[in-house]
Formats: sequence, C-alpha cells, structure tokens
Amino acid sequence: MSSAFGRVRTIAKKELVEFVRDWRTILAILVIPLLLFPLLFILFPLLLASEAAELSAVQVDVVVQADEIPDELQSLLTNASLNLTFEDLPVVAELSAPEGADERLRNGSIDALLRLQTNGTVLEYAVLYLSTSEQSLEARGRVFDALSAWEQNETVRRIDAAGLDADETLDPLRWNGDVAQSDVATQGEQAGMALSLFIPLVLAVWTFSSAIQPSIDMTAGERERGTLEALLGLPSTRMELLMGKWLAVATITGVGVMLQVAGLLFAIGYLASSDVISAPSVSLTALAFLILAVLLFAIMVVAFELALAMRSHSVKEAGSILGPAVLIILFPALFTQVINLDGIETFWFAIPVVNVLLALRELLMNRIVYTHVAVWLLSSTFYAFAAAYYAARQFKREDIVVSLS
Amino acid sequence: MPATLLSVQSASKRFGDVIALESVDLDINQGDIIGLVGSNGAGKTTLLRLLSGVYRPTSGRVMLADDSEVIHARHRLGVVPENTGLYARLTAWENIRYHARIHGVSDDEAWNRTSYFAKHLDMLDALGRHTKGFSRGMRQKTALLRALVHAPSVLLLDEPTAGLDVTSARTVRELVRQLGEEGGTVIYSTHQLAEAQRVCNRIVIIHNGEVRADGTPEALLEQTGTTHLEEAYVSLTSDAARTRQEDSKPLSRWSSWWRGLFTPNVPGGGEDE
Repeated sequence: MSSAFGRVRTIAKKELVEFVRDWRTILAILVIPLLLFPLLFILFPLLLASEAAELSAVQVDVVVQADEIPDELQSLLTNASLNLTFEDLPVVAELSAPEGADERLRNGSIDALLRLQTNGTVLEYAVLYLSTSEQSLEARGRVFDALSAWEQNETVRRIDAAGLDADETLDPLRWNGDVAQSDVATQGEQAGMALSLFIPLVLAVWTFSSAIQPSIDMTAGERERGTLEALLGLPSTRMELLMGKWLAVATITGVGVMLQVAGLLFAIGYLASSDVISAPSVSLTALAFLILAVLLFAIMVVAFELALAMRSHSVKEAGSILGPAVLIILFPALFTQVINLDGIETFWFAIPVVNVLLALRELLMNRIVYTHVAVWLLSSTFYAFAAAYYAARQFKREDIVVSLS
Repeated sequence: MPATLLSVQSASKRFGDVIALESVDLDINQGDIIGLVGSNGAGKTTLLRLLSGVYRPTSGRVMLADDSEVIHARHRLGVVPENTGLYARLTAWENIRYHARIHGVSDDEAWNRTSYFAKHLDMLDALGRHTKGFSRGMRQKTALLRALVHAPSVLLLDEPTAGLDVTSARTVRELVRQLGEEGGTVIYSTHQLAEAQRVCNRIVIIHNGEVRADGTPEALLEQTGTTHLEEAYVSLTSDAARTRQEDSKPLSRWSSWWRGLFTPNVPGGGEDE
C-alpha cells in the first residue's frame, strides 16, 4: 500500500501533468502574468511616447480670426508648427460662440479656430476645437502654448513699465535649496509606499483569479467528464484527494503569482535604471512575513475555490459562481488602498481578506507592528483552516459523482 | 463452499425522498461472475457504488469477509464505471499507472500486469497514445486494464459493453470469462439478459431498488417456471409498477419552489456526514 503522503503527491503530480499539457491554460495562467507588468510599465509607456511623438510631428490647420494680432503673438503662433490661415473676425455675441466653426471642425477642414479681439488693454480670446479629435486637441494645445508664452512676456513687460521688479512681483515666495532633499524618506521607502498601493491588490486578485480555472478543472471538470467516480473508488481518502488537488492548484497559483512578481520586479528594475522608481527597502523579517501572509491567503483562497467548484455540478455552474466571486477580493482590495495606516485600529487586521491586504501594505513599507502581525497571523490561520474544513466537507459529499451534463 | 468476499447486509440507499435501494442482501463469493441485471434506473449503479465504497448505505452495511467496511478495503476492488473515467490529456498507460501508484503498485509490476492483459485485449500498441482520440471500445478496454492493474479480488464493471461494437463487446466478455476461469470474482452490470447468460454463472435481478431474484440462470428458470430468461425477467419484475416514493411525504408548495430554485434535480443532494 502506498502512504497517504505518496497518494497526495501522486494526485498532485497527475493534476500538474494534465495542466501543463494544455497550452491554453499555460498561456493564461503562467505566460500572461509574467509579461503583464513588463508590458504595462515598459512597453505601454514606450508606445504612448511613440504615439505622442507621432502626434507632435503632425501638421495641424488653425484658423485665426482677428482684426488685429500683436506682432509677437503672430510670431509665436507662426513658430508653433501650425498651418495658419488668417480671417476677419466675424460678428459674434461671444468669441466662444461656434457660429459655423463647428461644421468646419467636424468635417476636418480645420483643427482649431482662434478668435482674438482687443478690449481696451486686454486681449480677449477663445479657442474652438473638437474634443473627440486628437488632432484638434493637439492644435488647441499648441495654440495655448503660444498664447501662454505671449501672456507671460506681456505680463513682465507691463510690470516693468509700472516700475516694479517682475521677478519679485510674480514670485514673492520661493523655495530655497534642493526639493528632493526635503523628504527624509529614502528612495527605497518611497518606492515601498508607492508599490504598497497596488502590489497587494495585484497579488490578491491574481491569486484568486489564477486559481479559478484549475480549481474548476480539477473538481467540477472531473465531475462533468465523469473521471471522478473512478477516482473515488480508489483507496485514497477524500481528504487525500482534496490535499492533492489543493497542492496542485496552489502550485499553479503560486508559480503564476511568482511569475507576476518576477515580471513586476523586472519592470521596476527597468524603471529604476531610468530613475523613475527605486527598488523598495524591505527587511528580511518583513519579507518573511510577507511570504507567510501570501501563503496563508493562498491556502484560504484555493481551499475556498475548490470547495465552491466541488459543490457545482458542471463547469458552467462553477464558472458562474467563481467568476463573480472575484468581487469578494476586489472590493476589499480597493477599499484597503484608501485606509490610512497611521494609527489604524487593530480590528482591521482580523477582517478576512482585508487583514492580508493591510498586512502586505504595511510590510511593503517595511513597517512591522507586532500586534498587527499577531492579529493577521492568527485570523488568517483561522480563516485558512475554516476554508480547508469547508472544502473537506464538500469533498465528502456523496453527490460529487453526479454531474448535470 | 466458496468463501464470501463481500457481503451486502440489509443495505438501503436513499437520496432525499428517492429510495434507490431497499434492504438489499447479497453475498458475493470467490469465483462468482455475477450478472447484475435490471432496467435503466433499477438501482444497479447505486449498488455498484455501494460495493465500491463511493456511496455509504443509508442503513445496513457492506462488509468484507474480515468484517471490515468496504470503504477501508478499496485496494481489493477494481472498478470500471459506466463512463470509464479516463483523463483525455494522459496516455492510456499514464491513466493506468496513475491508479496503480495510488494502489501502491510499482511501475514495473503495473507494466508487467498491464502488458499481459493488453495483449489479450489487443491494446498493447495503444498504451502510449493519449486517450483523447480513443473509440468507446478502446476507452472501455483501457478502463478494464486500469481496474486490473493491482490484481483486485473483486472486479466491479458497470455496463462494460454498453455502446461497444460487436468485436469490442466480445473481447470484453471473453476477458471476463477468462478471469472467471482463473478464479476471479466479477460483478457485471447490464440490462442485456442474453449477455448476462453468456458471461455469468450467477444472475441477480434488481428492480425498483429491490433484489428480485438471485441464482444461476437455471435456478431462475426453475423458480419462474419459464423456458427463457427473458420470460423469467418479465415474470419477476411484472409487479414493479409501484412507486418507490409512495412513503415519502409530499413537499409543501413553498418548500418545493424553494428547493427547486437552489437544488438541481439530481439524486444524492445531501452530504454523507
């Protein structure tokens, strides 16, 4: 007879072999998480930069309607990469009234329209544009840049003309020294703070969502395919079956989460080399607690998902239950992002899901508050056992051999 | 007198209000090739699941000769469920080896035993192939090889020839006969009387969850005073129109609506604890 451990290992190994032979699940659960953050943090900004560069090279057509244009402003507009056409100012109630300009903007014959009129010592203006057109937005931006530059120069000229020092008048309150030096938090601590705002969310949501597919496949899927009955006739107990399947799902989920974190660290490393963000400073103790928190969370989540999937009579039923169940993680995860960690009440660390997310936030900021650690450790262990007990009960149901399909 | 291997003692099985089996008594002896005959829904699969330990009886017991419960002695049973239960992404050999390892059989021993029977079933060349593309016959043969890999004392086959072509069905029957000649014990569920008569030395007729007859084909003919087993079967099951739910209390309208909303209409909605 094989030992209980041997049977659990055999079950887990078979589940993993079956899993890796399906390229679609490999792609969804292992490849995508590895590439997600590098794509998001490296490729996406590059793509945005390339699009922005492309847009800034575009020639835009701008009509200027004015009776009179200051020479300097005309020069600034001319140098702003605009195809300018000058027209007389029509009679309008307000400069911003479309009065036929909307049709020209919509049909693309012009990208923006600048109206100027002198009112005493003030130059009044309005820029008409089409907010749903990127080219029109770009034209508006360039016109604004020219107008701002002229306004700044004109302001200085008028202050000087009044016999004042323009620099002192416009900037009476000034920072002295290096702004970066004033924050005593190290770059690592700042990085920890920034990362703590989304790493817990990503870890929690990904742990839950990546366990859905294998959990369903190994329970409701087996039930639907009719493979479960043969398995239940074997000399392994239902607990061994649960443990084997749990081990397999936890391994797949663990590898998926690790790959995602590896992708994230790679992206951070890349950004750090560009001085965008530093690597977070996390002590070894905080790191150990961090891994423990994720592990306890994974035990709970995988057991819970296996239990729900095992209750289901078909893959479809399991999917319709576990899909929306992501919200159980997502809502607390979003909520914990806004909880202020300074002076936080201890009871928050006992609430399921919230406790682990808060723990991850604290630990990423290298804060080890032992009261908090004790509360989340005990409560998470309790929830993990409760989920495992619930899963064990589901695996002991007799009707798990019956499928609806 | 052959030794009794398995003993079903006043075993009943209920799924909520549905009585699937009622007070079944059955002794399974060494060398028995039992044809478990009954119509669809008669209770054959439920009885096989009780024998394999997948289900626990609601009342009564299913015991082994050493007075241990069958659930603790599943290593002595080989089971082929009706739908074979093969993993499509594994090869035939990997399916067999998976069960062998859970039974604690070494890979070498499992291979020797599998290749021996695979030759008889003309399956040796197919062992390395994924079962995804297997025909129904090949799946059934693979499931048989898997059930035999640990040399079980009792083989439980749930409609092993259902849906098979003539040649495959014949091969399966020949293997069962061979096992019987070698002193093996097989419980073979079918709704085909002729098949049971050809393969089995003992026939158990089950109807509406009750064992209606148990004996050799000759004894059944004698018991019913008929000349053909089909007539004997009709005679033994003709009074079977009564419902198995007659004792159950009807649900109130609200209970029925509530239960229908959340509980799929399948047997076995409860827990076994």
